[in-house]
Amino acid sequence: MAGVATWLREPNPTSRWQARAGQGYLSWLRFCRNPLAMIGLAITVLLVLMSLFAPLLAPHDPIAQDLTHRFIPPGTPGNWLGTDDFGRDIWSRILFGSRITLYIVVLVILTAPVVGLIIGTVAGYFGGWIDQVLMRITDIFLAFPKLILALALVAVLGPGIENAVLAIALTSWPPYARVARAETLTVRNSDYIAAVRLQGAGAARIIWGHIMPMCLPSVIIRVTLDMAGVILIAAGLGFLGLGVQPPLPEWGMMISSGRKFLFDQWWVATMPGLAIFIVSLGFNLLGDGLRDVLDPRSAGR
Amino acid sequence: MTLLSVRNLRVSFDTEAGLVEAVRGVSFDLGRERLGIVGESGSGKTMTGRSVLRLIRPPGKIEADAMHFDGADLMAASEAEMRALRGRRMAMVMQDPKYSLNPVMNVGAQLTEGLRQRDRLSAGDARRKAIDALEAVQIRDPERVLSAYPHELSGGMGQRVMIAMMLIPSPDLLIADEPTSALDVTVQAEVLSILDGLVRDRGMGLIFISHDLRLVARFCDRVLVMYKGRVVEELAARDLMQARHPYTQGLLNCLPRIGGSRGPLPGLDRNAEWAR
Amino acid sequence: MIEIDNLSVIFHANHRLVRAVEGVSLSIAARESFGLVGESGSGKSTILRAVCGLAPITGGQIRIAGEPVLTPRGRAFSRRVQMVFQDPYASLHPRHTIDRVLSEPLAIHGIGDTDRKVMRALEDVGLPTSFRFRYPHQLSGGQRQRVAIARALMLEPAVLLLDEPTSALDASVQAETLNLLSRLREERGLTFLMVSHDLAVIDHMCDRILVMQHGRAVEELDRADLVNVTMKTDYARSLFNASADRML
Repeated sequence: MAGVATWLREPNPTSRWQARAGQGYLSWLRFCRNPLAMIGLAITVLLVLMSLFAPLLAPHDPIAQDLTHRFIPPGTPGNWLGTDDFGRDIWSRILFGSRITLYIVVLVILTAPVVGLIIGTVAGYFGGWIDQVLMRITDIFLAFPKLILALALVAVLGPGIENAVLAIALTSWPPYARVARAETLTVRNSDYIAAVRLQGAGAARIIWGHIMPMCLPSVIIRVTLDMAGVILIAAGLGFLGLGVQPPLPEWGMMISSGRKFLFDQWWVATMPGLAIFIVSLGFNLLGDGLRDVLDPRSAGR
Repeated sequence: MTLLSVRNLRVSFDTEAGLVEAVRGVSFDLGRERLGIVGESGSGKTMTGRSVLRLIRPPGKIEADAMHFDGADLMAASEAEMRALRGRRMAMVMQDPKYSLNPVMNVGAQLTEGLRQRDRLSAGDARRKAIDALEAVQIRDPERVLSAYPHELSGGMGQRVMIAMMLIPSPDLLIADEPTSALDVTVQAEVLSILDGLVRDRGMGLIFISHDLRLVARFCDRVLVMYKGRVVEELAARDLMQARHPYTQGLLNCLPRIGGSRGPLPGLDRNAEWAR
Repeated sequence: MIEIDNLSVIFHANHRLVRAVEGVSLSIAARESFGLVGESGSGKSTILRAVCGLAPITGGQIRIAGEPVLTPRGRAFSRRVQMVFQDPYASLHPRHTIDRVLSEPLAIHGIGDTDRKVMRALEDVGLPTSFRFRYPHQLSGGQRQRVAIARALMLEPAVLLLDEPTSALDASVQAETLNLLSRLREERGLTFLMVSHDLAVIDHMCDRILVMQHGRAVEELDRADLVNVTMKTDYARSLFNASADRML
């Protein structure tokens, strides 16, 4: 362990890889100083572990119905979060539901920020009419309320998890494009970009190798802060019956089906609601912590 | 007469990399005169200036055996008492006016803000005082400058506005941190003569912090040479060219001079002894 | 090596026409070191930026080695002319290691043998090769400027444009950097076009000097004019007088 730490702290790294790892280690040390961010990270890691080991952790089949065990209240041995109207164990359903939540989150992370980053940096770097066209398109997408646009898209494409992801991704890239463009505008006229331009580098090389690394931190921060929103929209679509289809356990849909029994069997809707709340909070705390570590403006002070 | 007396001033920062001592035991006295503090970046000269106003943010820490300003004990003063001293009796001019003026307020509003709130002057009186102050720093069209925003001013103009702002309450002590290094040589000469006039006519004490030895030699009465948080030499400014300490000599020697030899400039061989 | 004929640079800023440079001509022989002095806004830096394509040429012509420059400048130009910027804290990419900074020009031009060339470049500017994988924030200002000089020399240009290369540095570091530049010029037969507001630095480095004011050329001086104070125009004289302490 001590050997690894010295290797990471080496002031004269012997490879690019070691240099990068060393910088990452320093950021990690700074991140560790923020207890709230650590809580956020713990929640996120827990979510990943839950979804990975759901089959091992779940005491029951999340889909199998058992009408003799309907509406068992929380705290009962064997069903510690209770059961729902079909006698399905809520804890098992939440565990398997975390897979769907994570699946949606990962797919959105892999699409929306990438699209936003490319559009934003290209618009910011070239300026002029390219900027005008790309940013007006962005404005059009921004002008719609997210959930309404997602609803319209799902209504056209038909319900289902892939279409829900597509709808969320299509509605959530514009803020990233804005962030990336703003960052690009501050970076574009800097001396180090002028220097690489003088060396004869083309636009693609400059955008990819020199501008994007500067925009990435703010986009990453924005993504983690938005994750809570993505989960809520996915849950909202599920709640309205436009996302994941039954009997798959999706948290939003679980709330929706528990709504009917809210006054007598409160736990059916409350437990998945708590899950959404905790995970959203976790992503927000993580995002705040990352901002302190990654933001170029706060670094170096 | 001693205006400011500092004994064994120490400034330290507790960072992730360990304790950093920026100033290590600096002592000096200031009368109604021009005191220069010179040194390279990292020598602690700026920190010395800021700590007189107690303007060091955590994790920075100021310690001193004694620090007195015109009878007031600066180390024992409460934050409220310091606020009353700052601006009214002691003021500071920073290097870059761009970062010291509020970009979303016009110059007039910034100049009169203190007068209206602290001294409870009417809008008209405050405005008249602001115009006087701008004229005192040789600004020819004060009316236009009052309604301008900081970004509409040139560097030299911005710096003069900063000085005017600091001088409105007629402070007894002005700390000027590289006030002219962002300026052209001809504008620099003007700003220096303004500062000079204030010391002579108003009897103000001036601490002039700079990295430019020749400038300090020409402009100040007395000079402290700082190296790694310590004062290595204190001497009259006119004797600077005959400095004794090898560090001061080294700093002077490595400057190119007009009509000098074009061979390699002598480097500065740092001696660990100097930092003790 | 560099010939500038009646150069004008005019651009729009905040809906206003800015005449940054008007009708400036100069000619610099190969291996010569030429200085531009003047106050801020005199257009001295704009001339450098116009030469390397960072500012538009509105009128007149710039020729490098007899050939008029193309717009955009193209790769052949970047192997002939390179620039060192004023602020070493702003001219190195904060997220690239020194290795990346120095190997980037080689990658752009498809030049191989990267490892050996990067190590050589570090040695040439007097930096330990163990610094290769450091980030700029792990270096001091003087060390960063050495990296910037090494980067400018990676493509082995004949002309170096120097925009106040030492004004952000401490006196002792300035001396080291100026010595380094002089040595490299000697060794590689470089042509310098250097901008500075410090007459002593310009005098130390340059054979001939052009004094500029408000975008126009005021007077061309050589070293003897400076030492003997034999300038013809009032402006050049006032500039000299304001820097008279630089003779000490």
